[in-house]
Amino acid sequence: MKRFIARKLIVDERNELFDAQGMRYVEFPSDFSRIREFTSLVLAECPESFREGNLLEQQLSEIIKNGIKHGNRNDPLKRLRVWYDLRKRARFIVEDEGEGFIELDQWNEFFQERQKALFDEDFDAFLSLASYRGPKSDETDGGNSLIAALEYWNGGMIFNEARNKVGVVRWYARGSASS
Amino acid sequence: MEWLISQPDTDGFENVIVTGDCDLYAAPSFAKAMRDRIAGGSTRLRFDLSKVDYLDSTGVGAIIRILQEGRRSGTELLFRGVKGTPRKVLRMSNILSLMREEQLP
Repeated sequence: MKRFIARKLIVDERNELFDAQGMRYVEFPSDFSRIREFTSLVLAECPESFREGNLLEQQLSEIIKNGIKHGNRNDPLKRLRVWYDLRKRARFIVEDEGEGFIELDQWNEFFQERQKALFDEDFDAFLSLASYRGPKSDETDGGNSLIAALEYWNGGMIFNEARNKVGVVRWYARGSASS
Repeated sequence: MEWLISQPDTDGFENVIVTGDCDLYAAPSFAKAMRDRIAGGSTRLRFDLSKVDYLDSTGVGAIIRILQEGRRSGTELLFRGVKGTPRKVLRMSNILSLMREEQLP
């Protein structure tokens, strides 16, 4: 018998994913037009086996986009801070200067409902719930980046209490992803 | 990112051939153009994504909007050539199973 299990976003200020010791650091201006460029800069020395085509680039760019657009609201005076470690796994901490992801609990409720519709094979309901639309969502928001992220970051995706900083990690086994 | 729309095939499907990165900069225009096309009366659209190597969440969102519009209007939608990272991203977003696929000829 199938059991319904939905992941969720977690807040844990003291999680080890926020330990930046030994990580490299870079910061960027909040320039929406340069999100993919910033992502490429962070990954310039990334091992090829971690890239999985351009999947790592795509997933990291989502986090950078969230920080610049939703966190810093594209304010050029606000910076995006990125810590990264690409030695044994792909690990990042990204912090913006915004008010935090205040819709996090609302997003978890949305995701629960969405995945329940999928579990129940209610595809009409699922299609209507396929994208998260918050009060500030616009046409550049796919509304699904966190859904893929919860699966992709197989070592965790954790927010701090202020919800303006996220730590993520993806582990690999023998050069390829372990899940 | 570019897209070309051909005249309908003998099976009645218009072919939408998409090329390039379907990302946060290009996907909104693509979504709007396709939704307008559906709203304008297209009843059968076949999307060839074999030349799309990069698809981010905005691109996935574009496909979701196209699927939603198609469902609302009764437009038949087919997809072909979904591969590589775009396929993985669509699968991780649980959207791939909603897309009716056919093999490339």
